[in-house]
Amino acid sequence: MNKQVTRNIIRAVFILAIQVILLKRNLTLGEFNYVHLTVYSVIIAMFPYNWNRTLIIFLGFATGLFVDIFYDSIGVHAGATTFIAYVRYYILNWMSPTEGYKKDSLTAYQLGVPWFFTYVAIIIFLHLIFLYSLEAFSFVYLKEIILRTVFSFIASLFLVMFGSLIFNPKY
Amino acid sequence: MRNLLYLIFRFSAFLAFLVLELICFYLIVNYNKSQGEIWAHSSNLFVGSINARSQKVEDFFELNQKNDSLLLENARLLETILNFRMTSENNAFQDFEETLQDSTLDYQLIPANVVSKTIHLRNNYLTLSKGKKDGLKVGMGVLGKNGVIGIIKSLSDNYATVLLILNGQSRTSVKILNKEYHGNLVWESSDPRLMNLKDVPRHANISKGDTIVTSGYSISYPANVHLGTIDAINYIKGSNSYDIDVRLDYDLSNISYAYVVAFQKKEEKETVVELQDE
Repeated sequence: MNKQVTRNIIRAVFILAIQVILLKRNLTLGEFNYVHLTVYSVIIAMFPYNWNRTLIIFLGFATGLFVDIFYDSIGVHAGATTFIAYVRYYILNWMSPTEGYKKDSLTAYQLGVPWFFTYVAIIIFLHLIFLYSLEAFSFVYLKEIILRTVFSFIASLFLVMFGSLIFNPKY
Repeated sequence: MRNLLYLIFRFSAFLAFLVLELICFYLIVNYNKSQGEIWAHSSNLFVGSINARSQKVEDFFELNQKNDSLLLENARLLETILNFRMTSENNAFQDFEETLQDSTLDYQLIPANVVSKTIHLRNNYLTLSKGKKDGLKVGMGVLGKNGVIGIIKSLSDNYATVLLILNGQSRTSVKILNKEYHGNLVWESSDPRLMNLKDVPRHANISKGDTIVTSGYSISYPANVHLGTIDAINYIKGSNSYDIDVRLDYDLSNISYAYVVAFQKKEEKETVVELQDE
């Protein structure tokens, strides 16, 4: 088992723990109930580039299902993570740097903060909009979906970038 | 087979995505109350609308069949009414129930579709989709849902030509309801709703609005089949009878089916009438 795999496992366990223990407690500001810190999608975003696509999709599904067990919403988070695990490949191809992904690790350390920021922003945004659509399960609640997505997106992105800059992982 | 495997391998990511999303969808709908309710509700709506649509299409294809069965049903009902009238008039002592049980009713109705017709000529005919094979005979009367249509003039195996009452040659024996004055109804106008009643004697006490029905004297029609009402009463100088305009209550231009009256005692009555003439 190489370093890349172990690091990914450690990161996944760490972020999932934070998500289901700490971030699950909603950040409620009175009536304003639109901010839900949802950062675990970054686990899937940071799986190495050279990993098998199908494997990543299954890992995404597993991650989502794990979160679902704690959020008591079987299928909702799993659906959203499966989705981003699938579209990740296309986003990476689209954002491919001119010299390609040399080290296969998708970190700010390897690819630069601006690239990493854009990439994570796209992933988190897609994850959240898919997640809240599944949660509402009807576009009757379109306004709710958009409000939740936008506010949670801003808060989650800040948190992810903050963590990323603190730990600044190589792999 | 190899190609298939290659295809599966090639699209394994997409297939995995699809299968897992479907699993998620299933889980969401089955294990989450609010989403499950939304799903059940909207799928019901969807399925319901599809069912309604397919039912419409099915109904459309069954229209002919339904139409035929309704026609038969109507024929049976009209038959009952006609025979009831006959019994109550001719044979007041016989119980109607008995007559019904007696399977040989005086009048039987055979429903038929109208294949073609003319209305605006001087001599108008109509073609029915039934003929000799269905037991039709020349001279049988033809009724519409509201009143008299005409008499069968000629027959082939599968078709019948009907001489409409809107025909210069047509003479229908009628009477004025409740007054028992008889006359002959002919068509001299060019208006398909206006007929002329001849041979009603001058002394008859009639008025505008009186109802005209068949007399039952002819062998073609049962008695008391509705025709129309008196529209105008004209006096002809030096004549013993009125010339009465009769307005038909029904429109012969839009009939699409008809009932042929089969009178069971036709031959019997014919012979009696002939004897009388001699």
